[in-house]
Amino acid sequence: MKYANRAGPAFLAPALLIIAFVLLFPIFQTIVLSFGRNSTSIFIGYEYAGLANYQRLLNTPRFITSLSNTILFTAVTVPIELAIGIGLALVLDRNFRGKGLLRMAALFPWALPTALNALMWRWMFNTEFGLFNSMLSDLGLIAERINWLGGIPSAMQVMMFVSIWKTSSFMALLLLAGLQTIPDDLYEAGSVDGTSRFSEFRFITLPLLKPAILVSVLLRTMDAMRAFELPFNLTDGGPLTSTETLSLYAYRAIFQYVNFNLGSSAILIQFIIIMSISVFYILMIRRGDL
Amino acid sequence: MVAKSKQSKRLFTIALLVIIALLALPAAAQDNVELTLSIGARGFGDAAPILIEACENEVGGISVEWERISDVPNESRSIYVTNFTARNSKPDIIAVDVIWPGDFAARGWVAPIEDYFSDDELAEYIPGFLAAAQVGGSTYAIPLYIDGIHLFYRADLLEKYGFETPTTWEALIAQAEAIVEGENNPDLAGFISMWAKIEGLFMNWLAFFQGAGGSFFDADGNLAINNEAGVKSLSTMVSMLEAGVAPESILTFRPNDARLLFQQERAVFLMVQDFVLATLTADDSPVKDAVQFTRVPYFEGNDMTNTTVIGGFLLAVNKHSENVEAAADFIKCFTSYESQVQASLIQGKVPTRPAVYDDERIVAEAPGVAALGANFVYAFARPSAQTGTAYPEISEIMQTEISAALLGEKSPEQALADAEAQILAIMP
Repeated sequence: MKYANRAGPAFLAPALLIIAFVLLFPIFQTIVLSFGRNSTSIFIGYEYAGLANYQRLLNTPRFITSLSNTILFTAVTVPIELAIGIGLALVLDRNFRGKGLLRMAALFPWALPTALNALMWRWMFNTEFGLFNSMLSDLGLIAERINWLGGIPSAMQVMMFVSIWKTSSFMALLLLAGLQTIPDDLYEAGSVDGTSRFSEFRFITLPLLKPAILVSVLLRTMDAMRAFELPFNLTDGGPLTSTETLSLYAYRAIFQYVNFNLGSSAILIQFIIIMSISVFYILMIRRGDL
Repeated sequence: MVAKSKQSKRLFTIALLVIIALLALPAAAQDNVELTLSIGARGFGDAAPILIEACENEVGGISVEWERISDVPNESRSIYVTNFTARNSKPDIIAVDVIWPGDFAARGWVAPIEDYFSDDELAEYIPGFLAAAQVGGSTYAIPLYIDGIHLFYRADLLEKYGFETPTTWEALIAQAEAIVEGENNPDLAGFISMWAKIEGLFMNWLAFFQGAGGSFFDADGNLAINNEAGVKSLSTMVSMLEAGVAPESILTFRPNDARLLFQQERAVFLMVQDFVLATLTADDSPVKDAVQFTRVPYFEGNDMTNTTVIGGFLLAVNKHSENVEAAADFIKCFTSYESQVQASLIQGKVPTRPAVYDDERIVAEAPGVAALGANFVYAFARPSAQTGTAYPEISEIMQTEISAALLGEKSPEQALADAEAQILAIMP
């Protein structure tokens, strides 16, 4: 037993080393770079600059805009996705013919690659050739074409719509798994007591679904706070910077202005925000368990 | 026994020969310098493999692999940033956008190559274009093809209403309004261009700005955008949008979106780069007989200050390449007179050597390309060589402030004042 204990870490060491190399090292490098100046590597020509990058970011209106865009985008889309997700999950949980087919269809938007999906919607929302403007004007509902992706705040609204369309089904899938863990006898006991459909949902389904809700909201919040492919392909952050997210801002700082240090600071701020939200959720989940 | 030993002797000899042959092979291969050429698949298309083969034969001792990259400048730039930050020795030869050499040279990513070219050889390229690659007395890239902004127009519509080709913005706006009103077609736009928040928007404004007598840096090298010419150019763009001469959707247009609308016979004037010419005049294009082009206009009272703002690509050598000399020789061949004639004939690429425009074959078989030459006498490169590593950010500031004025978030005066303040803050 003692021998096995001693051998354990030795066997684990190679795997741990690989993890440290591919996971911890980049994180460490990002942190160090965020305190640097004119440096692209922590080994060659690193120059320490203290908090200069963070100071510059907080005084850059564009960064503040990207931060508030990201928060607004998350705060609007996640609750709506949750509401639609619950509704969808309740429907999919019922027993009916073609249930499997419907479940598959509901998953479809989520299975599409985000970048492809964004390009598809961009084409449909195109002002001159797009599907929506042509449909609306054929029906006589609009006299002038709507400049969906060229307006403030319509571009952000379109982006939120596309995100909700795409990820509500992901929410539904996670919630459906949660719904299926609720034992049927609870509902039977409820019906013996003569509960209404609403109190059944309010007092049996919702409390038992809470862990699944928290997990799905956590995953979606983290995802939405990191949104990159959607704005990159749908609006390119425009018009102006009205749909530029934190990830897009950091990408531009690094790849367009070749300022690895400023970009790393932006990423680190984003990382800290996401971490704190996650810790908050996880604490809530733990408390729910007790 | 004897027979067997004879047989094994023969086997031994054969094996020895094979081994010698195998050892000799890598030596033969080493004579052949392997180069990687990174260039867009759409940009050079069918001409690329043909010219690569021709130059492999002409230079000798090299074999060149074509690495196909994106033709969208920001996408290929991302690849280069990754490669060069990591000091990768490949690709050896890269196609660089006209605005990159100053930036890339300052970062030490591309090698100076003037030693491999004589002054006479360099003088054969369009000087305004070559200047974009010259920093501090060194030359960092050689012009490959040009892609400047021109004014394309529907000659049939202008003729129908008895208009001459416009040379001033005032005339253009009046003509666009009259034609759109006369045609009474809600799908017809007067003027379209690429006014999404992209590099092309900055190019566009520069063309307006110069036509109003402006110059980004004055004779003393000071920033000179917040002045009468700046305000006039920007407020004209805003008023074109407000008056409906340009449709609202122009604010989402990249060059190809604008080209598509024009090709569908839905616009009178189109102001984009010349790469659209090949598609607009193709056999299946509805406007192939109606499209003509001219120099971008000027404002009344500023006759002939208008220029042709150029884009386009050059070839540069990776500073960490192991074969800088062979790469420079290849570039010399790839951008030679004969190569440029071929690139024009095969792919419609616009030459960077003034002499090529008068070549008999070009005049006979690619008259569109030959005609473009007249506009490139007035070629003007964006202020990228002077601003070095600051250029991408300067351009971004200009794009943002111009967009803010076009979207009505700020007055043109305010936008230019804000742009000036931000640029002065980051200028080296």
